[in-house]
Amino acid sequence: MKTFALQVRALVKLSFLELWRRNDVFALVLLGLALMVPLAMASPFGSAGASRYLDEVALLLVWGFSLFVSLGAGQRLFAPEFEARTIYPLLAKPISRGRLLVGKYVGALAASWSALAFFYVLFAASVLLRGGSFSSELCQAVALHFAFAALAVALSLLGSLVMSASANYALCSIALIGMFFFGRNLPEYSEGLPAALSWLVKAVYAFAPHAEFFDMRQRLVHGWGGVDGLVFAVVMLYAFAYVTALLSLAALVLRRRRL
Amino acid sequence: MSSSGSAVEIEGVSRTFGSVKAVDGLSLKLNAGEVMGFLGTNGAGKTTTIKMVLGLLAPGEGKVSVFGGDPSDPAVRARVGYMPEVATYYPYLNARELLAFYGGICGLDAKMVKDRTDGLLESVGLADAAKRPLKTYSKGMLQRAGIAQALLNDPDLLVLDEPFTGLDPLARIHFRELMRSLKERGKAIFFSSHELGETELLCDRVAIMKKGRCVYQGSVKGIAGDGESNLERLFLKTLEGAK
Repeated sequence: MKTFALQVRALVKLSFLELWRRNDVFALVLLGLALMVPLAMASPFGSAGASRYLDEVALLLVWGFSLFVSLGAGQRLFAPEFEARTIYPLLAKPISRGRLLVGKYVGALAASWSALAFFYVLFAASVLLRGGSFSSELCQAVALHFAFAALAVALSLLGSLVMSASANYALCSIALIGMFFFGRNLPEYSEGLPAALSWLVKAVYAFAPHAEFFDMRQRLVHGWGGVDGLVFAVVMLYAFAYVTALLSLAALVLRRRRL
Repeated sequence: MSSSGSAVEIEGVSRTFGSVKAVDGLSLKLNAGEVMGFLGTNGAGKTTTIKMVLGLLAPGEGKVSVFGGDPSDPAVRARVGYMPEVATYYPYLNARELLAFYGGICGLDAKMVKDRTDGLLESVGLADAAKRPLKTYSKGMLQRAGIAQALLNDPDLLVLDEPFTGLDPLARIHFRELMRSLKERGKAIFFSSHELGETELLCDRVAIMKKGRCVYQGSVKGIAGDGESNLERLFLKTLEGAK
């Protein structure tokens, strides 16, 4: 167990060093500050509507940035290892493929969650600077967002085993952003389509990761209150089951992959 | 160590990729404290054999054992060090961080890794460049970083794929001295190479592969006994003779 802890720690540290040393994290932080600071400074002249609009923009940015970090961390987990052939000395060390997969996932997740926490701190600062306050459902929203990040990292980890980093990033982005904005409407879209296409849309609805389940932005912005505890628990369970399925599939792919 | 004292035992191993037989009925044995050069032309099956010795690839037929165990077992691999032919490693790390990372993967605690890192970086000549990012390293420097990471867990078996690639003459001399000192400490060394002169200077035995089959296996001393002036002549004669 101590060996496993040391291995995971090494992989987590590698993920953070990668985030830190590659310029994308600096670009991301600068972008975040450049967009958040004007939002925080903006004076809505006491208009609740304008303030809500700014909150909505800020939360959308938090979602966008965190998705960027999660998929960025996930896409680099395996594909570059195969391309640079560093996978050989890595797997020649006393670590099983299963442990390597778990360690890499935990490393990317830790980096992704840290970035997400940073963005929520920025969001909180922007709200407080405008004289706003937080509703109690913020904790629920943040927890769901963290669960979504776990799902996004698992999805891009699986993708990094079967395609190049850029293709993986593009496909995962399309899948998650598409579901985020249009997922809830897919059953409706499927109704007017030819039978084969309708089945395809229904299959996508059944199996694609429902990013929209985790989105509580409207509730936060408009003060509609949190979701029911049971609904919250089911969504968290959904995330857990989805992550487990993705990691199990990734473990199978890695085990069968010819080196 | 296995009861027989052998570090690597390959018995009748074959491995096919599609219609290509990469390794065909290979048998060889490497004992502790022995240095074996694994020679052959490109595509002869050397790297496939090395991957099987490391447990990265399962043999289609036959058996590979390392210290009497399954090479895919992490406990067995804890006694093995491997340096790949070409690896760019992690360009954003420096050599010290690279060794700290691999040390963690080997399950070594931070203090032990730190203690070993200083000595290893000194012995491969990277002490002065230890804090430079690996992306600024030359090919030879990356090769030396590769040697350092392979030695990090103080392995009993060292598997090296083309270790001389990119090394300058001085580094080659240092590398030879390093290998000899490891051999004196009872370590087994198995390496593939196209550098016949270096192989002759370093090895106790050589195995020559051609199209997946081992066409020669014997001691380097025996080569002189055969009336050959050097390994290069034997290599050419063996390959030409094994059509």
